[in-house]
Amino acid sequence: MAGACFVTNLMRRRRVNSNVACHEINLQHTWGKMKRKIIAQLFGSLLGLMFLLTLMTRAQNKPPKLDDPELDRVQAMISQAKKESGQFSKSGSKASEPNNPNLKWAATLWEYRNKHPDTPASAIATTEALRLLVRADRISEMQTKADTVKLDEAAWKRAIYVLVEAAANKKDYNYLISKTQALSQTAVDPEIKVFAHITLGDAYWKSGDTAQARVAFQAVVTKYPKTPYAEEAEGNLMEIELLNPGQPAPQFARTTIKGDPISLAGFKGRVVVLKFWGTY
Amino acid sequence: MGEVPLLKELYAQYKDQGVVFIGISLDEDQKKLEEMVASKGISWPQVWDADGSLVTLFNIKGTPTYYLLDRDGTIAAKRITIEKLSSSITDLLKK
Repeated sequence: MAGACFVTNLMRRRRVNSNVACHEINLQHTWGKMKRKIIAQLFGSLLGLMFLLTLMTRAQNKPPKLDDPELDRVQAMISQAKKESGQFSKSGSKASEPNNPNLKWAATLWEYRNKHPDTPASAIATTEALRLLVRADRISEMQTKADTVKLDEAAWKRAIYVLVEAAANKKDYNYLISKTQALSQTAVDPEIKVFAHITLGDAYWKSGDTAQARVAFQAVVTKYPKTPYAEEAEGNLMEIELLNPGQPAPQFARTTIKGDPISLAGFKGRVVVLKFWGTY
Repeated sequence: MGEVPLLKELYAQYKDQGVVFIGISLDEDQKKLEEMVASKGISWPQVWDADGSLVTLFNIKGTPTYYLLDRDGTIAAKRITIEKLSSSITDLLKK
């Protein structure tokens, strides 16, 4: 299930396809926000437009403020790694082979991390190095490296997804559980803390330990009330309680897009396939 | 979306054996859904989950997601792949 990821409630509200890799969504989201800002400026007023034009003229002389050359450098390494790894897998080679270019690029990105601690570019390099190790089937090496990433580092914001991917690939949730447990207690960024906590619940749930999953989700509901995470945790608690095979499906009655009334109760005696989907 | 052709095959195969398909759409607007249903020739009923209440009711986290219910309205399987769907339906019909 390469590329699959946990879809958070935040994404659910935005109705995002679960097949899209989470880190790409984050990037797109940032860009989306930027675009909205720019559009708002454009239509704000004529003055705003003129102001923007002035800025754009200036931008030709100076690089825009948002451009971090270090970020570009790291992104270039990542795209090169992606390209080489694409060619490698196309040639029919197995991910675990020692000449997998992902290994070379993981080492390069990790070296970058060591040389440039605590920068935004370094956080991305860290996450991508770990991800490439997973994609080269080097789970224990990834874990050894991840253990050297301090629990207060910003890299965890994305790196949690890498641990999720590794756990899902191997159907082994132990490392994910221990790491998200630690992060849920000691991460400094509150966003990482709550995300680690809900991921801890998911990890327990996927590993089959619904009792511990319940404890984690309940803690999210209590500690972070009125957040999308609490809402997601509540949904999961409800599912653990009520939506298991062998339990009656929740009843509903709606109208179809053709205007016909439809209800589950009306299909007694028939097998029902419910497909939740979207045209996006 | 990419599963539509396969699902149409399954629908043709099972619709006369007492199997009902219901599509529940998470789309932002109903028009997109109507266009897609028309262009793909999808003939089973479609519900537009305008307020997200069915998403909440079934705790849907992404699409596509399948729930399979037996003849008594009991959950037989959830979050299964389309590949698994066919054999699961066959098993249920044998019961």
